Amino acid sequence: MNVYRLATRRGRAALGATLTIVALFLGAGTASAAVMPAASSTQSVKGVEVPMAVAAATDVKGKTFAVATDTTFAPFEFRNGGGDLVGIDMDLLHAIAENQGFSVDIKSLGFDAALQALQSNQVQGVIAGMSITDKRKLIFDFSDPYFDSGVQMAVAKDNETVKTYADLKGKTVAVKRGTEGETFANSIKDANGFTVKALADSATIYDDVKAGNSVAVFDDYPVLAYGVSQNNGLKIVTPKEAGSSYGFAVNKAQNSDLLAAFDAGLANLKANGDYQKILDKYLSAPETAKQTSFFDLLVNSFPALMKGLGMTLLATGLSLIIALVLGVVFGFFKVGESRILRIVASIYVEIFRGTPLLVQAFFFYFGLPQLTGQPLDVLSAGVITLSLNAGAYMTEIVRGGIQSVDPGQLEASRSLGLGYVTSMRRVVVPQAIKIMTPSFINQFVITLKDTSLLAVIGFAELTYQGQQIYAANFRTGETLLIVAALYFIVIFVLTQLSNVLDRKFNK
Amino acid sequence: MSATTENDAPAKIIVRDLKKSFGANEVLKGINVEIAEGEVVCVIGPSGSGKSTFLRCLNKLEDITAGSVTVDGYDLTDPTVDLNAVRQHIGMVFQHFNLFPHMSALQNIMLAPVELKKLDKAGARAQGMDLLKRVDLAEKADARPASLSGGQKQRVAIARALAMSPGIMLFDEATSALDPEMVGEVLQVIRDLAAEGMTMVVVTHEMGFAREVADRVIFMDGGVICEQGTPEEIFSNAQQPRLQEFLAKVL
Ligand SMILES: Nc1ncnc2c1ncn2[C@@H]1O[C@H](COP(=O)(O)OP(=O)(O)O)[C@@H](O)[C@H]1O
Ligand SMILES: [Mg+2]
Repeated sequence: MNVYRLATRRGRAALGATLTIVALFLGAGTASAAVMPAASSTQSVKGVEVPMAVAAATDVKGKTFAVATDTTFAPFEFRNGGGDLVGIDMDLLHAIAENQGFSVDIKSLGFDAALQALQSNQVQGVIAGMSITDKRKLIFDFSDPYFDSGVQMAVAKDNETVKTYADLKGKTVAVKRGTEGETFANSIKDANGFTVKALADSATIYDDVKAGNSVAVFDDYPVLAYGVSQNNGLKIVTPKEAGSSYGFAVNKAQNSDLLAAFDAGLANLKANGDYQKILDKYLSAPETAKQTSFFDLLVNSFPALMKGLGMTLLATGLSLIIALVLGVVFGFFKVGESRILRIVASIYVEIFRGTPLLVQAFFFYFGLPQLTGQPLDVLSAGVITLSLNAGAYMTEIVRGGIQSVDPGQLEASRSLGLGYVTSMRRVVVPQAIKIMTPSFINQFVITLKDTSLLAVIGFAELTYQGQQIYAANFRTGETLLIVAALYFIVIFVLTQLSNVLDRKFNK
Repeated sequence: MSATTENDAPAKIIVRDLKKSFGANEVLKGINVEIAEGEVVCVIGPSGSGKSTFLRCLNKLEDITAGSVTVDGYDLTDPTVDLNAVRQHIGMVFQHFNLFPHMSALQNIMLAPVELKKLDKAGARAQGMDLLKRVDLAEKADARPASLSGGQKQRVAIARALAMSPGIMLFDEATSALDPEMVGEVLQVIRDLAAEGMTMVVVTHEMGFAREVADRVIFMDGGVICEQGTPEEIFSNAQQPRLQEFLAKVL
């Protein structure tokens, strides 16, 4: 999956691309981002107010801040076996919040989505293993660096021939698109004569090496170190290249008190040794996970996947009910006498059939709040997207169903003196429903599967939960197999049930 | 109501200069006719001459392009006239029956009286059974249309059209879709209605039947009434060459 990460990640190119995408269908994204730096020239308080190791920014005390993060970027943020979001970023942020007396509400959205959520003011801060870059500094204010990263090379565990960059001659190297690993690989590929292949995420590039398509990966050292400790099948063979630093970000010239509190808390944690403890927990002494059986994976991932499945069914159910109402209303508009209503219905259908569901989801989650200033939670945005999208198809199903009823039926009913509404209700619609039922069942299955696209905006449905799991344990194939099997079982059972009901009631 | 027939009863249906176009295609080119209470009018003519369109204008299943149709004193082209109320007094029988397939024979008949609150459920059921007995199908009350023969379907359709006790019945080639052996049973029902004094407009290809039951026969061709008269005048003494030609083909 991870199509959404095509828009890149932590590298320098990332933000520009993200902004371009937002700007493309909003026209507003870049405009507001471009205006902000001008207003932020006073932003120089950072660090000044924290002269001592034991400091506190008092104006954040007791407040709660929404902070967005990635879905999974181990070891900075990922879900442990119990489904809790943990990692260096999480532990650090919670420790700083406790130290400074404020609370955080973590939103696990995905990297690009987190940045967009920050820009649309749905959250006050982002902590997501984000490199501090000049480009990003135009739009965000960063905390003091809390982590120094750097690129390392890793090869398959049993590979004894590739030990240095020079050994890569004539070979292929996998990198994560948009990362510093990619930038570094490209900078030395000509000198060392290898080819660079950019893929969407860490789990995928490791899989690429294990599958023998590439011989090595270049990735950020903490990510790589954590992956190795989790039995990703690789080993690290080179020392760390000097790299970038990670920082906590807020919107330019906004929430400076939160930023100051973060810096103050970070300084305190560094001084009292807690900072190093957190790092060691994930990097120096990673508890090397023993490779568990498929059955263990199934048992361990089951609670999280069931939670995801519940969300999938909830979103599907709500969306279908609303879509049915929309479909009936607009479907009747389409077969009705009024030209205006016919046009209204046609425009609705064309818009939602003529644009990708993914773009619609982005629009309702990120775009609409920017236009209205009214934040929208991910379930609402997801259900709105799916309802309107499925509603467009339902409209066509209803129109087709009604129009496929012999016009002689309506004429016979009208000739008896029955009105249009009564004729529809008693004569046409009952026959149309029978014709429409298979299409309804079909749409139901499509909508259920479409909920998986909402993983993109961080909706914690089944696919999202699956991504979380394999991004933390690197068992992509097995995890996806379980996820696919769950979809299959649920869809199979529900379609069989629908067909039984169809046969029973639509004799 | 200025129009009267010879016996001075007010005409049940008055059609004045009726024109009907589908887009640029003018199908009815000015029809003038009056039909008296209790009169049985058979409409004959070649296919495509506008017979069905004419019939469908009489209960305004088709929008009327120009002219007027007055039924029981109500001008159907007047937008303030309650068409649904007028239609309750005009039963219509279609070539392809148009029975409601998701209802039993009895439910087909009961639908309008119950929905339009003419009768309560029990009353409509009793009336429906009476009507089914009248068309000799009492034993098929609970059968779905799909399980009935063509002749049976059309008899149920006639019973359904009678459920609102209409004063006028319109038949559009009621026997054309039937196997020959079933034509007789349907014609018998129509014949009985005629004998009871129902006002009827019957579009038909059954010349023998028209000759037998009609008070008046109208020959339509090219969207106009080409010739009309008693069955004797039409079938034995045709004046217009087009009618003579038509009769030569069908008789
Ligand atoms: N709904 C319609 N739309 C367009 N043309 C129609 C429609 N109904 C009938 N016509 C045309 O009107 C003419 C007369 O049709 P109709 O009244 O059915 O003739 P008849 O019943 O005498 O065979 C035909 O040429 C037919 O094609
Ligand atoms: Mg016809």
